[in-house]
Amino acid sequence: MKIEITVNGRKRQFDVEPNKLLLNLVRDELHLTGTKYGCGIGECGACTVHLDGEAVLACMVLAVDADGKQVDTIEGVAEDGNLDPVQEAFIEEGAIQCGFCTPGFIMTTKALLKENPNPTEHEIREYLKGNYCRCTGYVNIINAVQSAAKKLQS
Amino acid sequence: MAFPNMLYGRVLKSPHAHARVRSIDVSKAEKMGAVTITPDEIPDVTYCPRLVSVPEATYKDWKVLADKPHYVGEAIGAVAAESEEEAQKALEAIEVEYDVLGASFDAFDAMKPGAEQVHDEIYLKDDLLKVENNIGCQLSITEGDPIALEEADVVIERTYRTNRRYHNQLETKSVVVRPEADGGISVWSTTQTIHNTRLLLHDIYGIPMGKIRVYKVALGGSFGSSIHVNPVVTIAVALALKSRRPVKLSYTREEDIRDHCAYQMIFKLKLGANKNGMLAGGRLEAYLDIGAHQIQAYPLLGCIVGWWVSLYKLPYKDYVGKAVYTNKVPSCAFRGYGNPQISWVVETMMDELAGKIDIDPLDFRLKNYIGEGDLFWGQGPSVKSIIQSCGVEEILTKGAEMVDWYNRPNPEEQTGRYRRGWGVGRGYHTSSAGAPVPSSIVDFGGAILKMNEDGTFDYISALMDHGCGTQEAHVKIIAEELQVPVNKVNIIRGDTGTTVYDVCTHASRGVYSGGGAALKVAMKVQEQIRSFAGRILDAYPHAVRIRYDEETDQTIIFAEGIEGREVSYREIAETARHKNWGTVASVESYRQPSCPPHFTGYFVNVEVDTWTGKVKLLRVVAGADIGTVINPLLAAGQVHGGFAQGWSMTTLEDMPYDPIDGDLVNRGSIANYKVPTTQDLLDVDDLTVFFADTYEPTGPFGAKGIGEGALNPVAGTVANAIQNALGVRFFQLPITPIRILEALKEKEE
Repeated sequence: MKIEITVNGRKRQFDVEPNKLLLNLVRDELHLTGTKYGCGIGECGACTVHLDGEAVLACMVLAVDADGKQVDTIEGVAEDGNLDPVQEAFIEEGAIQCGFCTPGFIMTTKALLKENPNPTEHEIREYLKGNYCRCTGYVNIINAVQSAAKKLQS
Repeated sequence: MAFPNMLYGRVLKSPHAHARVRSIDVSKAEKMGAVTITPDEIPDVTYCPRLVSVPEATYKDWKVLADKPHYVGEAIGAVAAESEEEAQKALEAIEVEYDVLGASFDAFDAMKPGAEQVHDEIYLKDDLLKVENNIGCQLSITEGDPIALEEADVVIERTYRTNRRYHNQLETKSVVVRPEADGGISVWSTTQTIHNTRLLLHDIYGIPMGKIRVYKVALGGSFGSSIHVNPVVTIAVALALKSRRPVKLSYTREEDIRDHCAYQMIFKLKLGANKNGMLAGGRLEAYLDIGAHQIQAYPLLGCIVGWWVSLYKLPYKDYVGKAVYTNKVPSCAFRGYGNPQISWVVETMMDELAGKIDIDPLDFRLKNYIGEGDLFWGQGPSVKSIIQSCGVEEILTKGAEMVDWYNRPNPEEQTGRYRRGWGVGRGYHTSSAGAPVPSSIVDFGGAILKMNEDGTFDYISALMDHGCGTQEAHVKIIAEELQVPVNKVNIIRGDTGTTVYDVCTHASRGVYSGGGAALKVAMKVQEQIRSFAGRILDAYPHAVRIRYDEETDQTIIFAEGIEGREVSYREIAETARHKNWGTVASVESYRQPSCPPHFTGYFVNVEVDTWTGKVKLLRVVAGADIGTVINPLLAAGQVHGGFAQGWSMTTLEDMPYDPIDGDLVNRGSIANYKVPTTQDLLDVDDLTVFFADTYEPTGPFGAKGIGEGALNPVAGTVANAIQNALGVRFFQLPITPIRILEALKEKEE
């Protein structure tokens, strides 16, 4: 099936099988490997991308369902060679250990802060509950989200 | 990762827990265009996928593909095709006939006379051994006089059973193998050791070592699950060699969960103490349910006794450890390598003993712990050294003060629905397996450091960083020694062809042992810089001094007090090139002379809902003695993550088997294997981490490890907190709501 998706700001055309996952399109055809396969069943959040600005799990979205829409991945987050404030905050707060979950966390955090620019810790924990991290115990991640919120507000 | 012309692999796995493959027919798969491999096409080599021990201590029972699979999920064949989908279709077209054999899913059943043998014969080094009663290997040690235990004022004996846990590292086991024109191969894989990967592939496939290039790639977590060479690697090499094309093989999550797990252990522990508050002795029987293959069961038997006897002074100690084969997924190291399991047991019993001799459990620990000046052999009986730095007392007294320990609740006084309790637990882990003399465990690393022509440095090491910030710590160590900002030291991602040997990133050795190698090369490079500077300045190399000049962003070598006698690193590097003096560079191997424990202690406050059995975390205080703290944020991060994994081990994780078909009850779905999410832990402000003020004389700038010690005492601490809330002890992990409700019911009755 012929589809057109705007990926990180650029219009792209694809001819895909109807059962193709957005995750596989992004990783295998666009080589945007910052979006990770962690489970394939919507449990871990490592494949989180934005679809028309909303955080979705790329392993749970068919590529054809992204037709005519805008897909943003971690590779499109930095602008003009400068890291996004959320990325900066994750680095500064030591919120990254192995880094495999980090792109998913950053994409979810960006969606959270767009909806709720000043979230409480409880609201952060609620919003990020679908993203697994096996390394950090989430402490520095929560700190990073709070720090990013402050950066974006100033 | 992807290469042009790359094929995708899929692995054919046994659906039976124990069977003999009577026939495999791959003709239909090959007609579909797939490349296939079967057991008879692989070199007939029996190996151990973990190469950290010396050959004399290495038991071998693995083949790349099994003609007699020993667990559900064991590889018996594989295919490679143009896409994963085509490979999967080809896989499904392979026809296999099995003779199904009997199977055991419990270590004690497996040891019974007449039980089906998982393996009839295995190898120790190159000697064939007959396996009896499914005992893969065993170890016994006795020290001291048993009368000490027999005549102790109080003796407790109990049986404890730990859970079977899955690492759930976020990246599933994966590899890309590219065959090269010279007959060699290039390998990019999930591994904690590139050099041991090369060694094993050389042993199996006979490719000359220099033609095997194993590259460092970032690892999406591992926690011990890639100390050994993962099965995907050895299988993908066979596919690439046969197809002569690059092959990518990535496990799905459902395959990964049937690929590796932690060692499940059953302990029988007897400990005695006297009314004066001193331990008298102990006897430990450890049974390891290792699953279908040995990865590092024998050294683990040594470590279990080492972990046990290095926690507290035991005048008498008697130990028997047995590693038992069962028809389950092979077990491998998982952060702590048996230490979280035995520490749970010991810390639980220490609390119980303290109650029996009427001493505060914290004071009991302070009286008996092994610390500075004591002999330490945590890494097993062949790795012994003397402890030179210890923060146990600081951790326990400071923590006790922070939580008002001596006013904690009395369990018998609580009656309401919600009951709160405090627990204490302590532990440690080794930093490396170093020692003054060689042991049965290889532990050394190496590093290369060179000065670039602009006065910056390239650091090249084989040591893998799993995300603990290890390489960043090395950079800080080098930068400190050379007096440069950290951005002047580049990390070059090498491979087996461009690095010198490093054994493996495990045993919390990254900063202590790997950092030791980094410091050694930095010292050698500084010597050469001084020598070149001496020539330029007409000064004595040992007399010149080094300082960093912020204004010019240059490190300067100068003869103090003598005007004009100064030169920058950049000028030294330029002069050395223009005058053909050569490159400032050093390559060194380094073996640490000691195995210093990094100590940790936890205080945990929980609330138990006696109606639902749910346990909620209220407050955690963690103290850690890691010597000099090199990366404060990431060191604290190790404690946060270690606590989360320990909490998960205590309350959530287990992987029971279905005895009817031998598969996991969770059927490979992580939806049925929960680990903590952001909502299952405590608020950031309720978790406090502090570091003891210590300095390890043998460590780089005084540093020790932290990764594993951060986890080891957690289960014992949480269990003690639950006991303090309910007045009930648990002897099986995990402590689930159902088990809590059952125990409360039993207590009432």
